[in-house]
Amino acid sequence: MIFEVYNRNLCVDNINITGVASSSMVFVGDTDTIQLASIFDTPPESLIIGPFVPLAPEVR
Amino acid sequence: MPGRTSVVDKAKVFIVSYSSIFQIGDSHYIYKLSRALAVQREAEIFFGDEGNFAAFQTFTRPISPPPIDEPISIAHHHLSPIIKVNNINIIGISSASMLNIGNSHHVAMEARIKHIRQLLPTGHEQDIG
Repeated sequence: MIFEVYNRNLCVDNINITGVASSSMVFVGDTDTIQLASIFDTPPESLIIGPFVPLAPEVR
Repeated sequence: MPGRTSVVDKAKVFIVSYSSIFQIGDSHYIYKLSRALAVQREAEIFFGDEGNFAAFQTFTRPISPPPIDEPISIAHHHLSPIIKVNNINIIGISSASMLNIGNSHHVAMEARIKHIRQLLPTGHEQDIG
């Protein structure tokens, strides 16, 4: 694959963003590679109904 | 391959928190990782030393990027050397995020979030169908 880019004028007036969160990125510039990955896990068994059981203790 | 120059007239950011970065300038390699164990409890009970990332597969499973199995030749021609932005207004940048004004070569970012909800049994029996 041959990928050739001719960049002409690039002007943006306003960028209004409420939040940039959990390894996200607002990038104004050039870069070669961007690799973003995320895992969001909330399986059915993560809805626990019953007396509160503390999670596994922190490992220091 | 020299990149273009980013010109930003005004950048207004209120909050930069939880190992986030507001960078003005170039960089070569950016790697950011955020891990969150989000527990929602119906009552305010805090045990203080909770949460072991190794106990959950969400945080241990490797994420393998898609393999690039095709030869690619990339050529850039910057006929205009400027990237112009007048205003940037951001309220919050949080949990290993980034606002980068400038160039970079490699950016790799990873977020791993496990969400757990704990509800009280009383008064909820009828909700469970």
